[in-house]
Amino acid sequence: MRSKSTFLRGSAALLLIATLSAVPAYSQKVVTVAVVGEADTFDPMVSTKDIVSQVTQHFVETLYTFDGSWNVAPLLAAEMPDISAGGTVYRIPLREGIMFHDGSMMDSGDVAASIMRWLEVASRGKGIADRVTSVEATGPLEVTITLSSPHSPLLSLLAFSNSAAVVYPEEIIGETIDEVIGTGPYRIGEHVPDLYLQLLRFDGYVSRSEPSDGHAGARKQIPDEIRFIPVADPNTRVEGLVSGQFDFADALPAESYSRIEGSDIAEPLLLQPFGWPVWAINHKAGLLTDQKVRLALQAALPIDDMLFAAFGDERFFLVDAPLFPSGWVWNNDAGVEYYNQNDPEAARALLDEAGYTGQPLRILTSRQFEFHFKMAEVARVALEDAGFTVQMDVVDWATLGQRRNDPALFDLYITHSPFLPEPALTSLWSVTARTGWGNPEKEAVLAEFTAETDLAKRRELFAELQRMNFEDVGFIKIGGFNALMGQREGLAGVPANPWPFFWNASVM
Amino acid sequence: MGAVVLIVLTIAFFIVRLAPGDPAALMLGPDATPEDAVALRERLGLDRPIFVQYATFITGAVRGDLGQSIFFNQPVTQVLKARAEPTVLLSLFSLIVALLVAVPIGIYSAYRHGSFFDQAAISTAMLAASVPSFWTGLMAQRWLATEYGWFPASGYGGPDTVFLDRIEYLILPSLVLGIVNSALILRFTRASMLDVLGEDYIRTARSKGMSEFRVVLRHALRNAGIPIITVVGLTFALLVSGAVVTERVFNIPGMGNLVVNAVLRRDYPVIQGTLIVVANLYVIINLITDLLYLVVDKRVRF
Repeated sequence: MRSKSTFLRGSAALLLIATLSAVPAYSQKVVTVAVVGEADTFDPMVSTKDIVSQVTQHFVETLYTFDGSWNVAPLLAAEMPDISAGGTVYRIPLREGIMFHDGSMMDSGDVAASIMRWLEVASRGKGIADRVTSVEATGPLEVTITLSSPHSPLLSLLAFSNSAAVVYPEEIIGETIDEVIGTGPYRIGEHVPDLYLQLLRFDGYVSRSEPSDGHAGARKQIPDEIRFIPVADPNTRVEGLVSGQFDFADALPAESYSRIEGSDIAEPLLLQPFGWPVWAINHKAGLLTDQKVRLALQAALPIDDMLFAAFGDERFFLVDAPLFPSGWVWNNDAGVEYYNQNDPEAARALLDEAGYTGQPLRILTSRQFEFHFKMAEVARVALEDAGFTVQMDVVDWATLGQRRNDPALFDLYITHSPFLPEPALTSLWSVTARTGWGNPEKEAVLAEFTAETDLAKRRELFAELQRMNFEDVGFIKIGGFNALMGQREGLAGVPANPWPFFWNASVM
Repeated sequence: MGAVVLIVLTIAFFIVRLAPGDPAALMLGPDATPEDAVALRERLGLDRPIFVQYATFITGAVRGDLGQSIFFNQPVTQVLKARAEPTVLLSLFSLIVALLVAVPIGIYSAYRHGSFFDQAAISTAMLAASVPSFWTGLMAQRWLATEYGWFPASGYGGPDTVFLDRIEYLILPSLVLGIVNSALILRFTRASMLDVLGEDYIRTARSKGMSEFRVVLRHALRNAGIPIITVVGLTFALLVSGAVVTERVFNIPGMGNLVVNAVLRRDYPVIQGTLIVVANLYVIINLITDLLYLVVDKRVRF
């Protein structure tokens, strides 16, 4: 009897030891993330929506990515490319032993085919396709991109998770991709639309060895599972967070800050600065094709009042003129004297010079983003005071998305964007964008800026571009604003980021 | 019934296309070019003449094919099927809550007509009907789910949640929706019972020495049943088609949430499909209500 008992205890102990030794170094944990909605697609090449980037970055990867300081860093590429002296040939070495979720190994054929597709179907890829002479697999683990002229934003474009140049197996590449197969640290487990997207740790993943830094470096795959829950109502995201149902909640209303701060379960996470509200000006048709009227518009705007009305709490906005905030490599003061003038007299004089006769200024905006509407309402009063006739076209976001594609239907529309790592990623600079801002001087500097590879020189050129934007009123940055997110107390490894990621997330 | 459905199909098709907005531009995101949107519209078939799209839709619908969801890239029938369970269960549980609250109180209010209880019940019912369901939902969510932790705050479970566990997610929204909808049933029950309790046969029953319990529940309630069944049927139909706000607040992936999202996304086939399902549902619930008349009152003939 005694020997049987000893045997059982010994077996139990062995079983326990075996079990414990089988447990990987990471914790067994599901990280539940409340996001604003469903991703429209799992193919991030074809979408420029942030929710698509946020979700898909966990299961598909690009050649390069951004580190915590927004510098380009290698991801699927083994290292930074070897760029020819003229800046037109990029030799990109690839990492060895990268496995797709279907078990096949990544090679240069997959990468070349993926980049070719990106140039054909992605909005950002198509934007540079005419400069790309060839994309070739020049070795089993090397691709070479040849450009017709130097284009310094290329690496940022290859690193960006939005309209992303992700790598797929060559076999699945087509105009559309029905079942996305990536190389990311997580693979798609189960997707029940409008209920959850379950991502499971991909056991074949080989992480980079460098320390984690922003999106770059080691992706440790700490959670077993990442679960994205689409929660459309912001208040429901707050309640889910403070009740402990979610480990992380994105895009929370500013009013909920103190509630989250007072919670024992969750804590606020403020991303400052997150981005900028922007007034996108129609240069193709209508009232604002006249530079004097644009200058009058810029002179009349009471920026600080608009931001206060929009965000209501100084913790959430910044009256800030430069197109990139302090601390960013692109920050400079060129032309900032044009910002926040709030000068109706000057605006009226400019309107007189322009021979303005009261044509309505059509502001296209939506209440889907309440802060857009609020700043437009405050501006309307100031613009009318300066002599403008203002027509507020307040529509839902779907209608705005349609109308802004027709230059006959608006003079300006209101949108917002996170601060992007590279100025050239902002389409508003381009004469081919829907707003069509172009003048010969700006085009010449922009061409020089996108061709230049020396950072110091690029900074100078960008300062020149910023000055031109103020002087010609290409578009109007209203200010900076912060984004409120929330996370469970003790959740670590999720840096405040416009596209938060969870492969390094752990819960104490 | 066929004519009703055809009219609904036609209205559903044209009404959703009257609203401005482009699903392609929405799907592609803010930095996509107008040319990208045009290309996607072509791929989705949204550039075809409206009557060609209508003919395709009608011929498909006749065969039970409601088209393909633009957003989900799945057949609409599959999308709707996935949303049916939470909505039907939520409606059913809410109706049970509403009946459990409204019918006994309505009967007792009528029986104690003019009493303090009656006045209090009517006032409370008025209040419940007047307060917007989103407010009731938010308060219930904040206090009963977040503060006291008695219920999950939102959702409908995850991959590891079995059917019975999913029901836990429906309790709080069912209570909210049930209480909000109990007001109408309570008022109808009370009014019908008041009418019946004044009838001669009730007086006769009492004079024969029948117990009050029996008089009220067997004779009065049975005869007051038809208006109550009518309002219960309508309430159920409203619950299935109109639990939009509650589903939104509690993030339940049902038909209400689906149709709101479909409108925001301009997912025309899903909006059409939902309208068709709701129209059919009304027809079926009306039919069941009519059949129930026969059960409670044998004198009814159609």
